[in-house]
Amino acid sequence: MDTAVSASPLRIALVGVPNCGKTALFNRLTGSRQKVANYPGVTVERREGERAANDGSELRILDLPGTYSLSPTTLDEAITRDVLLGRVADAPAPGLIVCVVDAVHLPIGLRLALEVKRLGLPMVLALNRMDVARRRGVKINVERLAAELGVAVLPTVAVQRGGADALIEAIQPGRWAAQRNVTVPAWQETTAEDAEQTQSDLKGVLEAVGYSAPVENPWFGRVDRLLLHPLGGLMVLAVVMFLMFQAVFSWAEAPMDLIEGGMAAVGEWLRGSMSEGPLRSLLVDGVIAGAGAVLVFLPQIIILFFFILALEDSGYLPRAAYLLDRLMGSVGLSGRAFIPLLSSFACAIPGIMAARTIPSWRDRLTTIMVAPLMTCSARLPVYALLIAAFIPDESVGVFNLQGLVMFGLYAAGILSALLVAWVMKLFASGTLYSPLMLELPDFQWPNSGNLLLGLWERVKIFLSRVGGIILALTIILWFLSSYPAPPPDATGPAIQYSFAGQLGAALEYVFAPIGFNWQISIALVPGLAAREVAVSALGTVYAMSAAGDDVAGQLEPLIAQTWSLATACSLLVWYIFAPQCLSTLAVVKRETNSWRYPLIMAGYLFALAYLASFITYRVVSAWA
Amino acid sequence: MLQQVLVTFLVLAAFAFSAWRLMPARRRLLTLLALDRWAAGHPALSAWRERWLKPRIIRAGGVGCDGCAANGSHAPRSR
Repeated sequence: MDTAVSASPLRIALVGVPNCGKTALFNRLTGSRQKVANYPGVTVERREGERAANDGSELRILDLPGTYSLSPTTLDEAITRDVLLGRVADAPAPGLIVCVVDAVHLPIGLRLALEVKRLGLPMVLALNRMDVARRRGVKINVERLAAELGVAVLPTVAVQRGGADALIEAIQPGRWAAQRNVTVPAWQETTAEDAEQTQSDLKGVLEAVGYSAPVENPWFGRVDRLLLHPLGGLMVLAVVMFLMFQAVFSWAEAPMDLIEGGMAAVGEWLRGSMSEGPLRSLLVDGVIAGAGAVLVFLPQIIILFFFILALEDSGYLPRAAYLLDRLMGSVGLSGRAFIPLLSSFACAIPGIMAARTIPSWRDRLTTIMVAPLMTCSARLPVYALLIAAFIPDESVGVFNLQGLVMFGLYAAGILSALLVAWVMKLFASGTLYSPLMLELPDFQWPNSGNLLLGLWERVKIFLSRVGGIILALTIILWFLSSYPAPPPDATGPAIQYSFAGQLGAALEYVFAPIGFNWQISIALVPGLAAREVAVSALGTVYAMSAAGDDVAGQLEPLIAQTWSLATACSLLVWYIFAPQCLSTLAVVKRETNSWRYPLIMAGYLFALAYLASFITYRVVSAWA
Repeated sequence: MLQQVLVTFLVLAAFAFSAWRLMPARRRLLTLLALDRWAAGHPALSAWRERWLKPRIIRAGGVGCDGCAANGSHAPRSR
């Protein structure tokens, strides 16, 4: 198969083994802010960015999923091979390949570089993480390496400003103009003889460049012995998770009070400065009471992601994956499911997409089906609201009770995912467990720049959701709660006569057995669009139900007074299993190429949520 | 009266925005492409087409997180 290489603009593909710094380099070259982390498998699809060349022309830069070889075993690795060979319909083969190799672990990356070089496409080699390599005593004769490979070799430090300047000079289109019309040669699957030849070439090159392996830090070895210990490691993991949820509650209290006070003050000011009418009601009872009630949870989300991002960057998470591999394997989950499930704590959508790294279709499907049971960040406002309203702010030993309950809810999500996976395993006879093959990255202090950038991205996402879809749905709910107006002889609150009130009354028949009142029943509907909208919907519905003017921004004490403990527990349990948002279902449809699986997923999650809430409501009602 | 007019506008805008954001990614792309075809016949709209419409079509054509309401801000930017 011969495929013509595109002439203009110059397309540059970043290729390398997982976790060698391709995405960090992509961000450096394009000014983009794609997610990077200190573990393999973060990039599962091609990403494209652009950069202006020195001559003003455009460079198109592709970040490809990491792969150890051009003979793929997973979907994400196949994407890399197909893009390089020009097999993707809307993406001609690249005009230049930048093969990114981690200088600290040169042999692993160089093996792929030798394989890529055989394609015959123009190529340069970026020797990344040179700063760490120098610190750890790695010796590489860069000039000799360039001579051995017959390509330019550029040392880079992708995470440093200016760390890719030499590479930027090397990829200018003028240098590659003469080679722009080459063709991709025919390619065949790697045979055993090819693999042996590559290994032999690799040995030769490593000897020629005088490569010496990195000096291991003795402390890292000691820390690893503890973190990877079957018992000690699990205890450390439990303590880390405990501390994280304790901090979410204890550190966030002051800033949350500040935002809550600010919201209440704005509501009061609007009420005092505007004449009574629908606009005032929309702003005070809709926007402030609804969207404002969600905004209050921003500090908790920042603290949660601070911990997650710091753990990601430090290299701890793959160790946790190693620890949990046996447990996951015993319930029928592939070891490779850890990273997708971990990603699902932020949002189920990237988690479901990350399941592409799992070679077996059945293992991949199991991971996709249980990913929504991991507690995504959208559920945090719902949990935090109910915990603050119903769980006393007391200490249990050295722990905060509210933090303990939050930890319990997250643990319940994980346990239910394991349980569902185990049940799915019972129906999937004849599948083999595929072991986890994971390269443990080096420990490192979290990069403050990465950390701040990651937090800023999460703040932007949260604020854009509050100011976007949450605000829009809150306005719609306000409209549905306000119209039609009550009849002249109405005795109850106006909302009871509105569209939303009538909908709530109808849904209450379905949800009354699990303790939900009509206000909660209404809030569940927009919560399908995004889970945290349930909080804004409750804020709006209660503000519209109130006879007085003192509700805006006071949702938490209001539900504490009007709901029973059994209802609150039932709603908390509902949200552990809650039928996921519509975007998640849409992604499952796309990833499985069928409506069958999203429908099964919605059905089983709804059934689980209803059953668990029913049991919880009955048990707590009898006990309380 | 002014409050009624403003509220009507805000509610309609909220309905339109929600419908757009909750629309399946493929339907959103097809809608943008239809809009682009229509705008191509109106030279006065060429600047708007280039500046507003083109980046949205590129983003809507992307896969994965670009199509998700939770991750709208991740499109690579040039410098």
